Amino acid sequence: MNLFLKSATLIDASNTSLHGKKRDILIKNGKIEKIASRLEAVSGYKEILLDNLHVSKGWFDSGVCFGEPGFEERETIANGLHVAAASGFADILLNPNTAPKPDSSSHIVFLKERASGQSCNLHPMGTMTARAKGEHLAELFDMQNVGAKAFYDFKTPITNANLLKIALLYAQNFNGLVCSYPMDNHIKGKGLVNEGEVSTKLGLKGIPALAEELQIARDLYILEYTGGQLHIPTISTAGSVKLIAAAKKKGLNVSCSVALHHLCLTDAILEEFDTDFKVQPPLRTPRDVKALIKGLENGTIDLVTSDHTPIDIEEKRIEFDNAAFGSIALENSFGVLNKIFGKEKAISLLTKGRKRFNIAEPELKEGALACLALFNPEGELTYDVAHSASTSKNSLYKNMPMHGKVYGSINNGRLVLNP
Amino acid sequence: MSQLSVNHLLGIKYINKQDIDLIFETADHFKEVINRSIKKVPTLRDITIANIFFENSTRTRLSFELAEKRLSADVVNFSAGQSSVKKGETLIDTVNNILSMKVDMVVMRHPNPGAGIFLSKHVNASIINAGDGAHEHPTQALLDSYSIREKLGDVKGKNVVIVGDILHSRVALSNIFALRLQGANVKVCGPKTLIPKYIESLGVGVETNLVKALEWCHVANMLRVQNERMDISYFPSTREYTQQFGINKKLLDSINKDIIIMHPGPINRGVEITSDVADSDQSVILNQVENGVAIRMAVIYLLASKIK
Repeated sequence: MNLFLKSATLIDASNTSLHGKKRDILIKNGKIEKIASRLEAVSGYKEILLDNLHVSKGWFDSGVCFGEPGFEERETIANGLHVAAASGFADILLNPNTAPKPDSSSHIVFLKERASGQSCNLHPMGTMTARAKGEHLAELFDMQNVGAKAFYDFKTPITNANLLKIALLYAQNFNGLVCSYPMDNHIKGKGLVNEGEVSTKLGLKGIPALAEELQIARDLYILEYTGGQLHIPTISTAGSVKLIAAAKKKGLNVSCSVALHHLCLTDAILEEFDTDFKVQPPLRTPRDVKALIKGLENGTIDLVTSDHTPIDIEEKRIEFDNAAFGSIALENSFGVLNKIFGKEKAISLLTKGRKRFNIAEPELKEGALACLALFNPEGELTYDVAHSASTSKNSLYKNMPMHGKVYGSINNGRLVLNP
Repeated sequence: MSQLSVNHLLGIKYINKQDIDLIFETADHFKEVINRSIKKVPTLRDITIANIFFENSTRTRLSFELAEKRLSADVVNFSAGQSSVKKGETLIDTVNNILSMKVDMVVMRHPNPGAGIFLSKHVNASIINAGDGAHEHPTQALLDSYSIREKLGDVKGKNVVIVGDILHSRVALSNIFALRLQGANVKVCGPKTLIPKYIESLGVGVETNLVKALEWCHVANMLRVQNERMDISYFPSTREYTQQFGINKKLLDSINKDIIIMHPGPINRGVEITSDVADSDQSVILNQVENGVAIRMAVIYLLASKIK
């Protein structure tokens, strides 16, 4: 594939000579051949001329769900990766949210094979415990050898503290990354939404911030004892940000992410009992949103994940108590982050985090493989989920204004553009 | 003629003070009707109402059915125990199947909060919420306020304490909304484990001492402990609960004024209330039941008038 990107503004803060500059880019056989102020069109190169085209390194998301195997009606790997590529992503970390759950090397191999030949790279996570039951460690070393990038019992807390201790110790032999979902299930009880004024008014069982913070405090104590590295996906409260900040100050090797929706929505939106807003951890309060944004700005929070979770309509168009948790979000990552932080910080967040998961960093320079996100940071568009490329349409971003527009991506020698 | 501001009665928080006044004025008329020798009016002869109960109910269901029949509506009853729900049918399918038999109005009780709101968005009928989980039970709150109004002349400015399991109670929540809307002062009283942490955000006070609560109030609404909604024990034993939050004649007599005792039923005699209190002159428990029919007639009548 040979491409000629015309008048693209490059966004790459790590490269001061190119950052913010308008350049023409030639891509030959999937590699960046030439970056220059002005290049002439060359025959045999497809010319890409898009309004206010901006280009950055391809984006990374540390927590995405599809449905294959087991829930193909939600999303297949192939279509999921197409949605990711069209949304600017070059690498995604796949949550172990399948049936069966990936707890052995053969599962990891299967996932990687199903994803081969796609524009966006899929990096699987394995479960931390066998069948994610929280009883015995899965074969972490074996899974890592075939490509598992981290170990996570997806959104299932490790209730046995000793098991987390063992996992953190054991994974150090091969530099494995253990993930722990921040929720104390006993405090959570049957809670569905944030405990607060809204849950009280709606008669919905609440999950206090305490449930998340208690688990994080416990995990950090264990990490301090064991050493090793811990990742805490999708923190959602102001108290959690404080706990992580203190742990980092102490020098603990801990990272964490926040889900995109926790940066732009609060539990007030639940007043109509709309199941599209049922997510876990639950939507919290304006105070939490403010603290999470600040945590990202000052580096306490390492990553933003879309927490993309396709759920088919049969599990959403039912009573609130019975509906499944989650929302699709890959298509909204840039629009939301660009609106909150502006394009430079948004791109910085979208290109951050590969190193933590031992995933190769793309480069934006001549001779490098072309791994690029294509977008226009200007303009406001209302997100219409009916036009989503995702198989499932469960979106809490429905009808939300998005700032800027993603054109698509170039990766693995493929160009994916939104219609 | 005045009309309600809503097409469904999904909860007290979705209506306004004028709606409550209109419902009470209409209920006054119907209360007179149900005390006549001929207790029936032909008003809703062309209306069909389905009572759909996904949770057990005796008095609410009977009260609705009686209200519907006294308005001459056609009534069909449905309970989840005998239905396709057990075979996996969704709520929307169940209700749409019933509606395709040309039903105009649905009275629904459901174990999940928000079920009535969900239904109102997906089916084409007027919905009355007869209790949705721990969310709302609007007709109960209306009949409770109506009973206070009947006894004390007005709800405004009165001190009302709701005693018991506030955490799991739709009656408590709807009563709080209704009483606040009408200008009453509200406190909740019970073990801290059964009082939502953020209840004060609804404009109510919290009192954990029953004697102090009773001394403060004009009306005490005693709630049942909803063991069926509890995942763990929120207090050690019924005996200990009764010691702290049960009302008995001795306690009632020690209060230096005649307060009104209410209970939405079913009563656990000897737990939250003793028989001598439940059956005393200060108790309006049976008036509440009678007023329930008048209130439900008023609600059904007013919503039906919006269908026509």
